[in-house]
Amino acid sequence: MKDYRIIFQKKGIVKYISHLDLNRCMIRAIRRSGLPAWYTEGFHPHLYLMFPLALSLGTESICEVMDFRLTEELPPEEISEKLNSALPEGLHVISVREPHMQAADITAAEYLVILSAPEIPDLKSVLENFTNQPEILIQKKTKKGFREIDIKSMIIIKNIDIHDADLYLTVILPAGNQENLNINILTDAVQNYADKPILIKSACRTKIFSENYQDFF
Amino acid sequence: MLSPEIEAHLPDVQKPSRYTGGEIGQIIKDKSQIAVRFAFCFPDIYDVGMSHLGMKILYSLMNQRENYWCERVFAPWPDMEEIMRQEHILLYALESGDEIRNFDFIGFTLQYEMSYTNILNMLDLAGVPVLQKDRGEQIFPLVVGGGPCACNPEPIADFFDLFILGEGEEVNLELMDLYYQMHQKHATRSEFLKAAAQIQGIYVPSLYEIEYHPDGTVKKITAHDHAPEKITKRVITDMNHVYYPEQVVIPFIEPIHDRVSVEVLRGCIRGCRFCQAGFLYRPFREKSAETVCKQGIALCENSGYDELSLSSLSTSDHSQIEQILDQLLEYTEQAHVNLSLPSLRIDNFSKSVLEKVTTIRKSGLTFAPEAGTQRLRDVINKNVTEEEVMRTCKIAFEGGYTTVKLYFMMGLPTETDEDIIGIADLAQKVVNLFYDMPDRAKGKLQVSISTATFVPKPFTPFEFEPQTEKAEILRKQQILKKAIKSKKIKASMHISDVSQMEAVLARGDRRICSVIYDAWKSGCRLDSWEEFFDASRWYAAFEKNHLDPAFYANRTRNYEELMPWDHIDYLVSKKFLIRENQKAHAAQTTPPCRESCAGCGANQCLGRPCF
Repeated sequence: MKDYRIIFQKKGIVKYISHLDLNRCMIRAIRRSGLPAWYTEGFHPHLYLMFPLALSLGTESICEVMDFRLTEELPPEEISEKLNSALPEGLHVISVREPHMQAADITAAEYLVILSAPEIPDLKSVLENFTNQPEILIQKKTKKGFREIDIKSMIIIKNIDIHDADLYLTVILPAGNQENLNINILTDAVQNYADKPILIKSACRTKIFSENYQDFF
Repeated sequence: MLSPEIEAHLPDVQKPSRYTGGEIGQIIKDKSQIAVRFAFCFPDIYDVGMSHLGMKILYSLMNQRENYWCERVFAPWPDMEEIMRQEHILLYALESGDEIRNFDFIGFTLQYEMSYTNILNMLDLAGVPVLQKDRGEQIFPLVVGGGPCACNPEPIADFFDLFILGEGEEVNLELMDLYYQMHQKHATRSEFLKAAAQIQGIYVPSLYEIEYHPDGTVKKITAHDHAPEKITKRVITDMNHVYYPEQVVIPFIEPIHDRVSVEVLRGCIRGCRFCQAGFLYRPFREKSAETVCKQGIALCENSGYDELSLSSLSTSDHSQIEQILDQLLEYTEQAHVNLSLPSLRIDNFSKSVLEKVTTIRKSGLTFAPEAGTQRLRDVINKNVTEEEVMRTCKIAFEGGYTTVKLYFMMGLPTETDEDIIGIADLAQKVVNLFYDMPDRAKGKLQVSISTATFVPKPFTPFEFEPQTEKAEILRKQQILKKAIKSKKIKASMHISDVSQMEAVLARGDRRICSVIYDAWKSGCRLDSWEEFFDASRWYAAFEKNHLDPAFYANRTRNYEELMPWDHIDYLVSKKFLIRENQKAHAAQTTPPCRESCAGCGANQCLGRPCF
């Protein structure tokens, strides 16, 4: 019995696979791959699979994590090769390793968002003005309706760049069990702030961090 | 290939994977090498259509031909439809992302009557004229339909170029081959349709003229342009050699039936008189145990699914069912696959079969006695006795089951209040049985009874019968409610105007086309979804066309009346249906086909007795 951690990317139309559906999709891919997957014992055995951090629907990623267990030890190359041959286009194993940290160690994640706004001449300064507001209030949906919260302290802007009239925003947001901010909440807030339409061309998770912004692995 | 224009809207809809394609198992071809393109349309949403076995079979079968390409199309959910209409996005096929209006064939599978408005809506979303007469002489796109509801295609005849009757494995390819030849020779639409009408199983409604009596019944059906007077359905005679896919498209989202299915047999030996499928799919034909196991295992291996369903109208009627289960269980247990048998019958539900099923999964048991008294069960030829129900429940309770679901129909021919009270009595006996067992399973017993309104269908012995009116059904439901004494019995009784509409559409004539058209125009779609069905719009459409739904749903037909579908031959003779109807009224049963042949006529296609 051996635990493995898979780092995989989720790019293209597979970004529309929800977290629950991804779980089913991965189970079937592992079964098709012929890898000797480990099943839980007990009355209803099921294939053991764990995703330490969910990804919101519509967001791409180059750093998704999935843990699972094989009944025997296999070379990482063989595992990624077999899995990749069974995965749908867009889902692709980048590396296979042994898990070191646990889901609870996850603190933050980095995203690259590409925005475009043909009607806004200086998108960069709109974005800077957005981040320089004294507070950034959003409506958060809770069980009891909507609650207003300030997300300003949660946002770390790492970089803003312009390429071919598109704005590339690299941002770090809290992630994991303690505090979590969905990238869509930020992009919605940006869109609401501007008086002209802003198109989110893509959003992609690029890194997952543990404490002190060390890479989660 | 999803276009960026469409993708831009996907964040705004529920379950965007419905509209992307890209699933494992989808078939992508090089367009430049393709001679005939077929858009296989399921007239309901992705989640429903992706569960449908027939589509999986025909999709793979057509794609076996290198130069033919079959793709999938589903009805959008209203959120996506709104975006499509606003943004002028035309209905596209999932594999290529291409608009289906440029395809050679647009084929609809006709699985239930309440999907008819979706067909009109999908054609309209595709930018294809909804009415056949408006499509002009360009040969494509040809709008074709097949599936069980094609047995009476008259209510939707105006929207289709042609219908494919019976099983499609051979005739679909014959039709595409003919198209390929004629398209190359620049044939017109009407030239093609006249030629296609010569293929057995192809019905071209525009070549038939219907005349009516002053009382609204059909007077005469006349064929033109050498079209056959009777159109006979197609049947596959050898189930072991017919094509069956060993790889299917695996959806990203969870469809209604999330599993792979292997078809074990076609037809049914039972002859339940209310059951249209039991007559439409005759004669009875089995796959060998070897074929079933080979196909089932291949499907699991290729898909990675952990559930395999043995699919048919009555799986336990397979002559080698125990052998199939033994062989499959050997595989499924080590491969962590659940085996499910969705259609077991009470009367031959042996202890050993139950044990085999329960080694895999223990869930609730579902039985369909259909009627509450033996007399009424004899009328409908549901050859199940109370003793058998009790015996099976006893085996089930001994096996640890604690929930039993019993399905019944209301409004059956000859039904009395006594028969309704019989439903409650039968459920009560099941409750008593459980508590009388000293070694009963721990846990709470629940007996659920569910009643649906009976809908008379063409090609059944009850095609002559009136449907019971809504007020009378409501009264009977009250009787049933009062008759239930135990808190262990939970009754769910469905009533809605859907049943009456279903009855109209099932036995309607060609005049119903304009009712469907007006209903759709006034906003009807997704009628099989309770939240969207709007009876008032349907009734308004009847009024506008000066037609009375009761004429179609609630009227008794005499044996001499010419039915709107009498030019269509499903091999089961009308004489046989009349004989069965007479026996029903005399409460006489007909034994299963395996015991003795009732002479329905279906075996003419085999050229031998069925057994």
